[in-house]
Amino acid sequence: MATSPVDPLLKQLTGPNTRSLLRVIILLTIAAAAVSSRLFSVIRFESIIHEFDPWFNFRATKYLVQNGFYSFWDWFDDRTWHPLGRVTGGTLYPGLMVTSGIIYHVLRFLTFPVDIRNICVLLAPGFSGLTAFATYLLTNEMVTSPSAGLLAAAFMGITPGYISRSVAGSYDNEAIAIFLLVFTFFLWIKAVKLGSVFWGALTALFYGYMVSAWGGYVFITNLLPLHAFVLICMGRYSPRLYVSYTSWYALGTLASMQIPFVGFLPIRSSEHMSALGVFGLLQIVGFVEFVRNQLPSRQFQTLLRALVLVIFAVSFGGLVLLTVSGVIAPWTGRFYSLWDTGYAKIHIPIIASVSEHQPTAWPAFFFDLSMMIWLFPAGVYMCFRKLTDEQVFIVIYAVLASYFAGVMVRLMLTLTPIVCVASAIAFSQILDTYMSIDSPTPEVQANGTPASASVAAASAMLPDGLRSTRNPIVGIYSYTSKLTVVAASTVYLMLFVMHCTWVTSNAYSSPSVVLASRLPDGSQHIIDDYREAYYWLRQNTPENAKIMSWWDYGYQIGGMADRPTLVDNNTWNNTHIATVGKAMSSREEVSYPIMRQHEVDYVLVVFGGLLGYSGDDINKFLWMVRIAEGIWPDEVKERNFFTARGEYRVDDEATPTMKNSLMYKMSYYNYNALFPAGQAQDRVRNTRLPAEGPQLTTIEEAFTSENWIIRIYKVKDLDNFGRDHGSAVAFDKGNKKKRAHKRKGARTLRVE
Amino acid sequence: MRWLFSFLVLALLGAVQALSSSGSRLLVVLEELAEKDKYSEFWDDLRGRSYTLSFESPKNDKLSIFKHGERAYDHLILFPPKTKGLGPSLTPKLLLEFLKKDGNVLLTLSADHPTPSAIVSLLLELDIHLPTDRNALVIDHFNYDTVSAGEKHDVLLVPAPKALRADVKNYFEVDGTIAVPRAVGQGLGNTTPHLAPILRAGSSAYSYNPKDEAEIVEDPFAVGEQLSLVSAMQARNSARFTVVGSVEMLQNEWFDAKIGAVGSKEQTTTANRAFAAKVSEWTFKETGVLKVGRLQHYLNEGKKNVNESAVGVPEHNPGIYRIKTDVSYTIEISEYTSTHLSPFVPPTADDVQLEFSMLSPFHRLSLTPLAQTANSTIFGTSFVLPDQHGIFNFRVNYKRPFLTSVDEKRQVTVRHFAHDEWPRSWNISAAWVWIGGIWVTVAGWIAFVALWLYSEGVEKGVKKTQ
Amino acid sequence: MRWLLLLTASLLPFTAIAAKKAPKDRYQDFRTKSLSSTPLKLDDASYTKLTQAPRDYAVVVLLTALETRFGCVLCREFQPEWELLAKSWTNGDKKGESRVFFGTLDFAEGRNTFQSLQLQTAPVILMFNPTTGANAKVDAQPSRFDFTAGPQSAESIHAWVSRHLPEGPKPAVSRPINYFKIVSVTTAILGLITLVTVTAPYIVPLLQNRNLWAAFSLIAVLLFTSGHMFNHIRKVPYVSGDGKGGISYFAGGFSNQFGMETQIIAAIYGVLSFATISLALKVPRISDPKAQSLAVFLWSGVIFGMYSFLMSVFRMKNGGYPFFLPPF
Repeated sequence: MATSPVDPLLKQLTGPNTRSLLRVIILLTIAAAAVSSRLFSVIRFESIIHEFDPWFNFRATKYLVQNGFYSFWDWFDDRTWHPLGRVTGGTLYPGLMVTSGIIYHVLRFLTFPVDIRNICVLLAPGFSGLTAFATYLLTNEMVTSPSAGLLAAAFMGITPGYISRSVAGSYDNEAIAIFLLVFTFFLWIKAVKLGSVFWGALTALFYGYMVSAWGGYVFITNLLPLHAFVLICMGRYSPRLYVSYTSWYALGTLASMQIPFVGFLPIRSSEHMSALGVFGLLQIVGFVEFVRNQLPSRQFQTLLRALVLVIFAVSFGGLVLLTVSGVIAPWTGRFYSLWDTGYAKIHIPIIASVSEHQPTAWPAFFFDLSMMIWLFPAGVYMCFRKLTDEQVFIVIYAVLASYFAGVMVRLMLTLTPIVCVASAIAFSQILDTYMSIDSPTPEVQANGTPASASVAAASAMLPDGLRSTRNPIVGIYSYTSKLTVVAASTVYLMLFVMHCTWVTSNAYSSPSVVLASRLPDGSQHIIDDYREAYYWLRQNTPENAKIMSWWDYGYQIGGMADRPTLVDNNTWNNTHIATVGKAMSSREEVSYPIMRQHEVDYVLVVFGGLLGYSGDDINKFLWMVRIAEGIWPDEVKERNFFTARGEYRVDDEATPTMKNSLMYKMSYYNYNALFPAGQAQDRVRNTRLPAEGPQLTTIEEAFTSENWIIRIYKVKDLDNFGRDHGSAVAFDKGNKKKRAHKRKGARTLRVE
Repeated sequence: MRWLFSFLVLALLGAVQALSSSGSRLLVVLEELAEKDKYSEFWDDLRGRSYTLSFESPKNDKLSIFKHGERAYDHLILFPPKTKGLGPSLTPKLLLEFLKKDGNVLLTLSADHPTPSAIVSLLLELDIHLPTDRNALVIDHFNYDTVSAGEKHDVLLVPAPKALRADVKNYFEVDGTIAVPRAVGQGLGNTTPHLAPILRAGSSAYSYNPKDEAEIVEDPFAVGEQLSLVSAMQARNSARFTVVGSVEMLQNEWFDAKIGAVGSKEQTTTANRAFAAKVSEWTFKETGVLKVGRLQHYLNEGKKNVNESAVGVPEHNPGIYRIKTDVSYTIEISEYTSTHLSPFVPPTADDVQLEFSMLSPFHRLSLTPLAQTANSTIFGTSFVLPDQHGIFNFRVNYKRPFLTSVDEKRQVTVRHFAHDEWPRSWNISAAWVWIGGIWVTVAGWIAFVALWLYSEGVEKGVKKTQ
Repeated sequence: MRWLLLLTASLLPFTAIAAKKAPKDRYQDFRTKSLSSTPLKLDDASYTKLTQAPRDYAVVVLLTALETRFGCVLCREFQPEWELLAKSWTNGDKKGESRVFFGTLDFAEGRNTFQSLQLQTAPVILMFNPTTGANAKVDAQPSRFDFTAGPQSAESIHAWVSRHLPEGPKPAVSRPINYFKIVSVTTAILGLITLVTVTAPYIVPLLQNRNLWAAFSLIAVLLFTSGHMFNHIRKVPYVSGDGKGGISYFAGGFSNQFGMETQIIAAIYGVLSFATISLALKVPRISDPKAQSLAVFLWSGVIFGMYSFLMSVFRMKNGGYPFFLPPF
């Protein structure tokens, strides 16, 4: 009686208006909370684009807004990857830019002259509100209890796991992708439930939007077929499933193929083959079901079942064959490294080098999900109670996503929605149980006719339930126990809110462009070297000066300094990156021709030694060496950068290769001029540096930012009199050249 | 356009008031000014070519070749100092700085006094080597002047220089023989492309120090053609630096001295005067100066391009092309010879070449002279862009001995096909099958729906939808 | 033609140094040896003999320490790959046109060599290019391959060797087909199929058992969310001792952990969620009021305690974390 599934519905029929009004208000407040908790960064710093990739998205959006959609589509970007250029229009996911472009134009149409930057900065928070709403819808599809949806929405709104990628200013694909992910799943569930082509088409539509927005669409592409496949294996094939899946697959594949970057992947690459396979399987199963209904002879059905298995096996084998023969592209490195976790480290250092591709330690889980991390399994368990099709979906999603999140930190993002849904289910179950005012009276329970009836009903409904749900529900007797549980849950919820706010404000709202540090007296001190250096470039270098830096800073240079770069965060050409790595890790005499060939005018390095800023280039240096070694194993050797005892040092014991490498020289050039003689100190490596610093001949220092975080060097032109730079510098220093014909061996004669 | 351009150039020349293409302020540095009369004819020649000469002694401490960080003079003639060096205001570093700022230097050596170490180190920087012992001079026992150096054989008679190579113009053509008395031979390093000998010693000459009376010379500094008597260095900014091995050959007495070659009785006059004129002309950029006029590249497709006509059409150099399009490139080069700009005609066996390069050249084409105007040649070619998008450079890099370097680089972007530049599907015959398939499917679907709606009873259909 | 070249190549040393034992027959007897057994098992003497200049052949030597007492796992892992490479190379050119020898020098036989090379680590591959003959390299220094990138496959070493060799035949690595494996796999599969078909009536209800699946998926979720994959990828230690002889169960620092730590965390999560499940599903089904309220208090207490302990552990990992629950 206390909470039987139908109970709220009955109540709802009595006062629907008040309830729906309340629900709308609650959802609005949740959305408001979601948005406002993402504004820390804007309040602390300013309305600025964050980190790295967002800068490219921002630049692309500006291009879109200025030049219109078609020229954006055909955009050939000649200011990155010099001198190769990048076919940007065909190699990005345009969803994000197009979205904000549309918003921009709509606002213009409504005569709101909003700067495009503000739209980009505030896009993620805005969509987080929508995500909360989508989560509400999804959860409502899962369980009948109305409170679960609201709880899930609230969780989704403020959980750090999602905020980490959607604070104001982190203008990245995930900003809208998560909303699309959740909403697509909602539509899919709706379609499976109703078995209507309409909802299936809607699913395909939003799936197409998702494809245009984020590479993570592959998650959907594999999750939905898996869901269908599991349902078939459970013997739950139904026309509803057939209709929804086929309509989704046909339309969705067509939609996804409209994105230039995706193109023919859906029929050529292994990531998409599961969807195709399940599509075929569904056809067979549907056919078999049809035939079965026509002729009920027993043997014939076994024959058909065998037929299904055979065809399935054959087609699977065909797929494998095609993959081996190369018609279907094998798994791309990023996806493959999800399964074979050791793969990337050996074969693709460029993927392994990215920090967000590292595996996740458990504190990260708790940090991002707090109390939900232990409500989550409970919620999953409750889905097993009466295992409807959509709850099967929850289970699959939960297991898969937690595996992926365990392998890659950044995939925590895909785990978060399902965690919110599951834990909301669990939590709402508790609240519904313990917050119902009326408690059962023991004697009614004693003769227990209704109870037994409900037992019968239950056992009729589920032949095999969970062990914990065998007995009938009687409800909670004493108010004290209700009060205890409710009070405890309130404490947990408040704790959760405090945790989320704290994490958001401390961990996730600093735009890594501007660094904040606390002075001894506790006041905040802003370190703005990046922008200082980028604006120096913008103001003091010619329009077409080519900047060479490690690829992490390519997008920022392109966005803030507006100068051509050699490599950037879109790491599509490993060889080019390796070239830059080689130039950085070789002697000047080797690097200079490379830089000349690539028309490099300035070289930019990040050096944290003065400030103790650990994310600097010397710490990333080994990755440059590794990537370069991958292409030139004989010219760059990682081993030569380690001392005999296998240490990576920058002080006196540093290996000659290290000391002569361009990166080392650029980082420490003139550094010991800051200190009394012999006192030069690197505050990142915590080592004393050699007494005399490195000498540069082929490049000269052009700019060094306030805290020495960014140092920019100018590449010299060839010597005017055809000398090599070493001797030219030596001459300018005033020491004489020794008589040239002291050299031994036969004198070489001029022929002309 | 072209007229306007030439007028402009002429006006410029009028302003400069010199035949040199780079200014007329000429500083002569020699130690005691008394000596300057020995060279009066040389000065007259120079003044005749409307240079404003000013004489300074290196001892003068107010002497400075720079003023407010800029050149105070355009050209420099250095006479060999008798003392240690050229003093604080003419250190090698300053002289190189002078060259870096496009000043031209004519350096003269003499075997009478040992060459100061400052000059030696300066020449070393330019990869010009002098004999190790400072008193060495060039001796030739076969072609010496029988009149003046009957027994010392230290006055060389050298025929007028020929063209250095088949593909190099000769700017030092004089008739008659040149007398080079007591020259300091120079050896030119063969690594740098900036050096070129103007006047070589005869094949039987060698470098020898008369002070030590050795019977035989083992391992002489250099012999024969390797000994350069007058050599030229042209820096990357095409500032010019000429070393004259013997200062005496510029003196009046040698300008019209009677000389007798070995074996021939009759005496002739030297061609030194003409040769000195040629050398100074070249050094002070009166000859061998190239100027690049209009440079343009344009899409050579569709409508006839109007830019070839000489009427004043604004230059039309698009920044972006598409791959596999036909592109034309024209460059206008004129050569300055002492009074005016004239059409530049590359020597036979030589071509002006165009590189279309990204990282490495995709095309290297020799430009053909398309047309000639009053004072310039228009070279040009047209070619099809490679099937490779990226950031390319049109580059004309024409560097030859005795010619100022031409290095013109224009960056263009070559983009890929846009989405609407591919042939439409129905133009591809191979695609007809698929297009047909699509329409057949559509038709079949419609037919099926029609059949279905026709065959199914209405209320049954309603049930289905529920 | 090639024979002629070889002949001249091998004759050159004659003219060069007539005094030394001519490398030609040195080549020949090593050749015969290698044909019988490759890679050649070397000791100090034969190593010096094989690698002494002048050579008109290339030598690739693996310096390794196979004996278990040296505890060089990498050596023993790499040994079969090495033999595979050597064998397939030697079989690859029967006529010995590439003139390459593969030798193995174990630390047990080659202490002096190891000392003379000042090798601290094993395995190391040294490659000596020919000093005389047609394709001689000027520098006599052997090029050296360190296993910094971990265990290598025969193919990668093959690539390295052929990179350093001058042009010539480079027989590819041919892995022998493992018939035994194939047979065993097929038999296993067939056996599995038969097993399934036989035991189907017993298995199918098991497969359709909901509790089983629930347990399975819960375990998976707990495993992954407690950072098991991190252990798997980073190969973290199970536990480590603190300085004072005790055992520290929790690794310091936000982004590293111990094996046991994750198990503890998984257990905590498990208890918490089990308590939640009991509160939500079991308790309302208890018909006896006393027992029910008892259960409520019990489970609430468990949740409270566990959660506060979890937060204290997290505070241990993440210094600045301000929140806590009373007991811990």
